[in-house]
Amino acid sequence: MKRNIQLILLVCFLISAASYSSCTTVNTVERESPVGTRQMIADKRVVTDSSLNKKVSIVGLNESTTNGGFLRVQIEVLNRKNSMQNFSYLIEWFDMNGMLMNTPASVWIPRQIEGQETLTITTVAPTTTARDFRIKFIENVRKN
Amino acid sequence: MKKKSRYYLLILAPLVFYGGCSTHTRYVEPTGPRTIVTSEINIQDFSYAAEDMVKSLLVSGALDDAPQQPSILAISRIVNNTTQQIDTDMLTKKIRVALNQSGKVLTTTTMGIGGIAEDPLAQGIQQEKEFYADKKEPQRLPDYSLSGKIIEKRDRQDNVRQVTYSFQLSLTDGNGLAVWEEEKQITKQGKRSVIGW
Repeated sequence: MKRNIQLILLVCFLISAASYSSCTTVNTVERESPVGTRQMIADKRVVTDSSLNKKVSIVGLNESTTNGGFLRVQIEVLNRKNSMQNFSYLIEWFDMNGMLMNTPASVWIPRQIEGQETLTITTVAPTTTARDFRIKFIENVRKN
Repeated sequence: MKKKSRYYLLILAPLVFYGGCSTHTRYVEPTGPRTIVTSEINIQDFSYAAEDMVKSLLVSGALDDAPQQPSILAISRIVNNTTQQIDTDMLTKKIRVALNQSGKVLTTTTMGIGGIAEDPLAQGIQQEKEFYADKKEPQRLPDYSLSGKIIEKRDRQDNVRQVTYSFQLSLTDGNGLAVWEEEKQITKQGKRSVIGW
């Protein structure tokens, strides 16, 4: 009986040691009061994968327009976990009539995010006529 | 007992037969998240590079300085410095289509390196039109040319193998100045048994 308890404790210790060893979080430093002001936009979120939502949590969206008249969107995501996570994202652009604009560069892009890291994804509309966008996130499903 | 085993055989035989025929091949979205990843340059790598390049070029505003809009782009040499045989059009075509859709650029198909046109028929038509129109002015020359290089760098440490592909592009204006330059690096890592080199 005593031996069994010892064995269980040993297994628990090994599991926790393994999980802690894979934890690497990010420390950050920035200006206390930023000079630039972000134009944050109100967003609508549909969360179907709550586990992914913890790994890639959307902090906020802000947008601007380039000198050439292209809409530029910046998405700030935060990994609430303490370990590195993989995810992919896709950005869809819509015109004035709400029609999807297909471009050869619209592809699911894989990214890595370290534990507790804040990652900024920047994207630019494919044409000056793009008015709206939708960003999709998914856990990595690619087979290596 | 013997009879029973014969029945089992009759049931299992077609299953084995059909199972053996299945190749497990299926369609996947070429831009989707389920494409395979190998140490070689995969189809999605060209898409990632093109997406980044187009984004950078549009944000830079370099195309807005052309005297006439939309500006005209000629495709120059894209050097393949990797160990693989790749068609660089896998990259340039994506960029061309995206730039064309942006409304900022039109690509010429009647001009190429060494005077070889991408579309010889279009070049012939253009020359014939100029001849009959008795045009004194030469055709509108490209405002920019796009050139670049794809480089491969392999590294290893213990049993971890890493390969990095650098996609480098330059946009040169009529004065011979690189008005936009960009580099996109894609790094892949794997263990020897997985990647196999």
